[in-house]
Amino acid sequence: MTSSPLASRAVPAVAARVRSAPATWAFLGVGLLAIGLYFLLPPDVQSVFYVVIGFSSVMAIYVGAARNLPKSERLPWQLFAFGLLGQVAGDAIFAVYEVSLNREPPSPSIADAFYLAGYPLLALGVLLVLRRLGGQTSRAAILDTLVIFSGVALVQWVFFIDPYNHMHFGSEFARLVRMAYPAVDVLLLVAFAQLLVGPGGRTRAYRLLLGSIALWVVADEIFGLNSSYEGGAWIDALWLGSYVMWAAAALEPSMARIAVPDRRRLPRLTSTRLGLLALASLTAPATLLIERVSHHRVHAFVIAFGGAVLGGVVLLRLAGLVHAVERAGLAERLARREAEQAQQLLAFQNEQLLEIDRLKDEFVSSISHELRTPLTSIAGYVELLQEDEEDAEKRGHLTIVGRNAERLLALVSDLLFAARLQYGRLELERSPVDLRSLVEQCVDSAKPRAQAASVHLDLEVEDVPQILGEQAKLAQLLDNLVSNAIKFTPRDGRVGVRLTAHHELIRIEVSDTGIGIPDHDRERLFERFFRAQSALERQIQGTGLGLYISKAIVDAHDGRIGVDSLPGEGTTFVVELPAAA
Amino acid sequence: MTDARLVLCADDDEDILSLVSLRLRRAGFEVTTAADGAEAVEVARARRPVLAVLDVMMPKRTGYEVLAELRGDEALCGMKVILLSARVQEGDVARGMDAGADAYLAKPFKAQDLVAKVEELLA
Repeated sequence: MTSSPLASRAVPAVAARVRSAPATWAFLGVGLLAIGLYFLLPPDVQSVFYVVIGFSSVMAIYVGAARNLPKSERLPWQLFAFGLLGQVAGDAIFAVYEVSLNREPPSPSIADAFYLAGYPLLALGVLLVLRRLGGQTSRAAILDTLVIFSGVALVQWVFFIDPYNHMHFGSEFARLVRMAYPAVDVLLLVAFAQLLVGPGGRTRAYRLLLGSIALWVVADEIFGLNSSYEGGAWIDALWLGSYVMWAAAALEPSMARIAVPDRRRLPRLTSTRLGLLALASLTAPATLLIERVSHHRVHAFVIAFGGAVLGGVVLLRLAGLVHAVERAGLAERLARREAEQAQQLLAFQNEQLLEIDRLKDEFVSSISHELRTPLTSIAGYVELLQEDEEDAEKRGHLTIVGRNAERLLALVSDLLFAARLQYGRLELERSPVDLRSLVEQCVDSAKPRAQAASVHLDLEVEDVPQILGEQAKLAQLLDNLVSNAIKFTPRDGRVGVRLTAHHELIRIEVSDTGIGIPDHDRERLFERFFRAQSALERQIQGTGLGLYISKAIVDAHDGRIGVDSLPGEGTTFVVELPAAA
Repeated sequence: MTDARLVLCADDDEDILSLVSLRLRRAGFEVTTAADGAEAVEVARARRPVLAVLDVMMPKRTGYEVLAELRGDEALCGMKVILLSARVQEGDVARGMDAGADAYLAKPFKAQDLVAKVEELLA
């Protein structure tokens, strides 16, 4: 099974294409065949057939809009249908005259009213389609439209509208009607230009619509240049093609989402848009040149006026661009300044945090110093007195003072260790550690204590891989566990220390035959200041910090510590540490 | 030339200074004392002891500063220095060793540890 994301995304597109194929392609195919057939028909049937093709297209647009769009979104396509229906009505009037009266209708006639009424509807339809896609209402977009409109209007006036001023007509009204055709073409030309520069992500429906309007305006312009038109001329193929393509666009399902909406505040200056704007801007000098070269009468006033309007609008557009660039520059400077300020603040806060960190370390350090200094004197002089004292009883008393000074020192050390742990996880100064020799040293130094308590101390070690850790902390951990085991084991009991390697884990087991830990105490054993009930009952001394510190040391080494115990039988602490990679 | 059995003890805590001095005298050394860092430098220059036991937290000059001064003095280049301090965090020890101390002992200390260390350094 080869199902890439690309393939699965392509499936709906292919399915849509298959579904759309019958309606769109069938209509296009039949339409093109009908257009071909049109040129083979005798003249009187021809005009009727022309109306049939046109009317079918109008119906297809209506049906396509109903099929592909919800009611609220059909208006632009209904405008297309009505606009084209105006054309078909005009064609029908022509056909009636040609078939039944064997002549063309008078000029002007009611047919002109239908024809001319259609154009604004078509242009409005295009405008609404584009409005839904956005990007048409910004000042820049409107100025672009104005540039194109000015260029088109100038050309239309000079080459298509004004010539009628110099022709002979039956009446002024007849002249005005003839002039109205190139005038309304301006609307469709501008609408076409807007479609051309419209948003990206165009569907097949969009391209069909663009093509149909292109055919239409080309036909109109050719017709305008060459007024010797007769029904059945090749130019009919363009208008008929436009009808058929327009209908195909409406039938194409992609017309529902005709392009990717454009939410930009400024229209993108694509090469099409730039080209079109340049073309429009050049209409004035081009017109002047063409008129001069072909020895036409030069429309100096119109060209000057059109050129001025174009120049003005282009200047406004340029000013807008400059402003936009300036605004962007200003926004960038502001953003950069804000970023700099934020960075400074961050640096300042960092400095403060470092300072707080330093003060905290300093505080713990000086408390430690203040407590240890008097203890140094106490322990030191007691040691001195013990050595010098000859009276055994007094020496015994001094031993008690010395032992308690040591306890006090251990307590101070543990409290300070716990205080530093409160600030955060234990920081280690890691180096490779040989646990075997460390365990051996620890057991060695615990021997006097074990002897004093009449506890047998057994050691079972094997060679294990090195671990990456801090030697002093690991020694503290071992000392805590072994001291605890001795402390909680009655006379003649046993304490065993085992060191073994299990693949990547090194296991240290410290077991005793002591009083054991009941289940309900086991869960809280590693909490700060926690003391088991059994220890309190037996008045076994301790601060409740040893196992808390041990767990912190194991955690800092990415290891695990656990306990297994049977009350009355004994306890085993198990520490597992990862070997150095 | 340094004095072969003369040891300098410097500590601002009188009791500890007496204790250390007594311990070293009992071990057979001649002892000279200083109550602060500045005095320690002075005495060291004047008497040229073979070894100095310096407290770290002293007024006028800390043990680190005294150590730096002694290490900068060519006339005292053979002198051994032990820092003896109640500051026992890793950073303190590392700083002392970096400054050129020959040993760093924590307070409270065992008399036998101190004497053993001194003997070891002078051996």
